[in-house]
Amino acid sequence: MTTLTDSTPRFVVDALRGERHRRPLVDTTSASGLRSILEDGIFDVLGGERLGAPLVIRASSLRQLGQSTDISLSPFARIRGILVNQILRLLSVGTSVKCPFDDALRAWRLEIGSGDLLEYVDQLGGDERARLETDVTAHSITLVRSLGPVPSRWLPRSAVRATQQLGGGAVILRDVIDLMVGTTTGDVASVALFDVTTSPLGEGAERAMRYHALVQTLRTSLVPLRTSAFSTATGEMWSLDVDTELLVRSAREVLAALELQRSAS
Amino acid sequence: MSALLHRRFTRSDLNALIEDAPATPVTLTDDHRRSLSARFRAVPGSEHRRLDAWAVEQAGRASRAFRWSPSTARRVLGGGALRRIAVRPTLSIGEAVSDEITDQLLRAASGYTRGGSLSSWLASTTVPELGLITAEALNWATLVAETAEGIECDWRVAPSDAFYDVASARTTLRGRRDLMVARDDLRVIVRVRAGTPGKSAGPGLRSDLTIETLVHPQGLAPARFVGIWPDAGLMLSVDGTMGDLRCGARDLVRTAVAQHRFRALIAA
Repeated sequence: MTTLTDSTPRFVVDALRGERHRRPLVDTTSASGLRSILEDGIFDVLGGERLGAPLVIRASSLRQLGQSTDISLSPFARIRGILVNQILRLLSVGTSVKCPFDDALRAWRLEIGSGDLLEYVDQLGGDERARLETDVTAHSITLVRSLGPVPSRWLPRSAVRATQQLGGGAVILRDVIDLMVGTTTGDVASVALFDVTTSPLGEGAERAMRYHALVQTLRTSLVPLRTSAFSTATGEMWSLDVDTELLVRSAREVLAALELQRSAS
Repeated sequence: MSALLHRRFTRSDLNALIEDAPATPVTLTDDHRRSLSARFRAVPGSEHRRLDAWAVEQAGRASRAFRWSPSTARRVLGGGALRRIAVRPTLSIGEAVSDEITDQLLRAASGYTRGGSLSSWLASTTVPELGLITAEALNWATLVAETAEGIECDWRVAPSDAFYDVASARTTLRGRRDLMVARDDLRVIVRVRAGTPGKSAGPGLRSDLTIETLVHPQGLAPARFVGIWPDAGLMLSVDGTMGDLRCGARDLVRTAVAQHRFRALIAA
């Protein structure tokens, strides 16, 4: 199901939650069905086998489903993605971003303290660092122009983590939702999930959108209203209303990713 | 017997855990307190000990030195914001978090803070860093507020964590608590944690239950202690029975022993 709004939204945020009177009642029953689809599927893939380490599925596992190499996994692209996400976090709480690269880098440094990617940034040469800075600034401008103000009444939460153990701990679904708005306590579905990517949107981004909705459903046992993805490379936004069909499709995609991972190991 | 209940974190399951909490909680007497104190005194060590559920879950292994970060500050700021909303219900969570941070900065500016405190750390951060800290605190406050909103009984945000100084044993116990729920004359305590519950989550929960009981002026145990891990969508709970309290106390003493052994090993 796709909800159409009467007018073209000016900002991404306006399109996120749509119109209040068109929101469906919150679905509290689908989560258990999805869990059983996944549990049955995991048993088909793994059987009774005991694994040394659990198989971990992330949104990135679905983005690259069936692809042997993915350019978005290079350190440069990952750092750019992290920094643009930091900018989203700052914007979500109304912090003005004056120097996108420096501000994002400061916020990231404070968050993680140290790490391989941070070291990579510190060791970049002048030209490469300038290229990264220009790149982050360009993506940030697209984000700042398109996002619009996020009302604090919408309960914006950024970098929301979720973990689901399935198959007796043999499979772990991990996810981080870049921005989530809406309450989980109302009678109507109002939670909107928002993913920002620095790559152009494609099939992989669509799978990731569905995956976010699936993991959120498993985590809260409530089906979210909408899952959206925004590309800072193209300024394009995709938005899908979440329904059972979408979630079941995502569960099948998770099982396919699991099968690929199992055969690769 | 000690029973650890495992449930999915849904509104109905949380209310069922509160509703079904045993109606006859136990009381710790002065004899129990004296006995616990004697056990801690028997553990050698020259330094002041600080024990909490995290230390129990880590089996006394030394954790990294504490430093302020957005994730260590979020609970303090988020909890403060929720207490502000309790006083002024018209505030949104975002406004309350912002007010809480401003208040901390004012404290630092007026010179009423010591070095290493949250206020002085916040005062040393830049605007984007403060933005990230706000985002983390907002996440936490929203999480706890949404958990609380689903509770059908009367609840309030815990005024602070539970601290108990064990008499003559140079030991301070710290129990974590986020929400206090009142059901008839009973109380149920809710604790919210990030991440996923590990194998030692049960002992951690029991030690928080024990500390919460020790802190109560009459030694009355909460009817139930509920631990929520929203990231994993899971809840664990322990009842305020004498068995669980004993288990919690035993785990705390064992942790003190393990801590002493680790320190002795490092010194050697």
